[in-house]
Amino acid sequence: MPLFDYSLLLTGKYHDMLVAGLWLSLQLLAASLVLALPIALVVALLRLSPLAPLRWLGFAYVESIRNIPLLAHMLFWYFGAPELLPEGIKQWLYAGHIEAYSAIIALSLYTAAFMAEDIRSGIRAIPTVQFEAGRALGFGFLGTMRRVVLPQALRVTVPPLISQTLSLWKNTSIATVIGVAELMYQAGQVESATFRSFESFAFASAAYLSVSLAITGLATWYHHRFPVRTI
Amino acid sequence: MRHTLLTAALAASTLLTGIAAHADQLADIKKKGELVVGVLGTDEPATFIDPKTRQIVGYEVDLVNAIAKKIGVKPVLKQIAVAARIPELQQGHVDLVAAGLTHNKEREAQIDFSLTTFVTGQKAIVKKDSGITDVPQLAGKKVLTIRGGTQEPNIRKAVPTAEVVTFDTSQQAFQALQQGKGVGYVDDEAALLRSYAKLGPQKAQYVVLKQNLSTEALAIGIKKGESGLKAVVDDTLRELEKSGEAQKIFVKWYGPNTASGFQTRDFKLESDKID
Repeated sequence: MPLFDYSLLLTGKYHDMLVAGLWLSLQLLAASLVLALPIALVVALLRLSPLAPLRWLGFAYVESIRNIPLLAHMLFWYFGAPELLPEGIKQWLYAGHIEAYSAIIALSLYTAAFMAEDIRSGIRAIPTVQFEAGRALGFGFLGTMRRVVLPQALRVTVPPLISQTLSLWKNTSIATVIGVAELMYQAGQVESATFRSFESFAFASAAYLSVSLAITGLATWYHHRFPVRTI
Repeated sequence: MRHTLLTAALAASTLLTGIAAHADQLADIKKKGELVVGVLGTDEPATFIDPKTRQIVGYEVDLVNAIAKKIGVKPVLKQIAVAARIPELQQGHVDLVAAGLTHNKEREAQIDFSLTTFVTGQKAIVKKDSGITDVPQLAGKKVLTIRGGTQEPNIRKAVPTAEVVTFDTSQQAFQALQQGKGVGYVDDEAALLRSYAKLGPQKAQYVVLKQNLSTEALAIGIKKGESGLKAVVDDTLRELEKSGEAQKIFVKWYGPNTASGFQTRDFKLESDKID
């Protein structure tokens, strides 16, 4: 038995399983990111709203999500939340890919809470005179945000958002607990079928590392292409 | 994930340190005065923690105690995860593995096995209103089970088109069945009947399919090439069978008065050959 069996990773059934896992992980990343960004922006604006009840709403969202481990969120959105739905919708959901849907909801809501805080910091980094200038020109709160503050703030926010994307990418592995056949899950399956633990987890680690490095590379490129304008 | 990570770490350390050559494990066991056995401890009634005494007890524990007595050393039980069983043994962290371990051809390349200690069929349970009465009808349906054992490959072998979803524990998988997140749940017969018994009055809504997905021979795992140790283990098991003790131990944990409720014992501790 060779010490490290490359052939297991390069061809055959186990290769296919691992690649399928990687592909599903990437899909989880993409779907969760697309959902998380708009939620994060709305929550950040809620937290900065001139109306106290809206600010409270944003605060409650961020704190209640950020202070509970992702694992608990995952289990809740799989075992708990769908049970509250009406019977018909429930049956329809359970017949489909309920595992993946639950994982995407948990990941998006969780990531959005962290991203909202980054966006809020970005907005707060823009000097208040900019906001006041916007209001003086006759724009409302949302108008000022959209035309004056956000275009500047979002550039500042990109580096921390990339960092959150990295966390999101690694967090997709937690979907394993609710039976989503993502990369970590498939690595475990290959391991229990072949006992080649080192090979299967080497594949998973290399895949996580490569995608993470690609995301970091993207961040560096963005930073060069769209540098933060001096405030 | 917990146990797969552990195994990965174990495997990594194997690679780094290499497997140290032992002269004779049996001599080592006698020298240290204890027989270290890896058990699951979560697999009632094979090995589980007695709620009153907080000790690990069960069918496999009784067998292990007999082996330790035969060698003349103290048995030490160590809880390990399903997926860590074989790596722990290969690493020499445990002397034996008595953890619901299926003896199959693939695994014979990795470790040695004692005489078969238990024969079980893997079965499926479904909700009555699903209309499923036969294993092949699970084709194209979502089937739930535990991860890291032989259940998943066996379902795939029996029903290749089934969509299998696996969980860390059998409790989670069974809950997913109760919530309707799959049509069937597959496990070893003894474990399955136990979960079924726990349903109480809801039992009427479920059916255990008659047909076996597979027949599993469970055995005690021994590190490859330790013929001295294997001889003692097998001798102990043969003696238990001859004296009638094996039958008593079986009835105590799986017999008609237990939750498993087996009426008969359809196997004997006599062979280490599998089909």
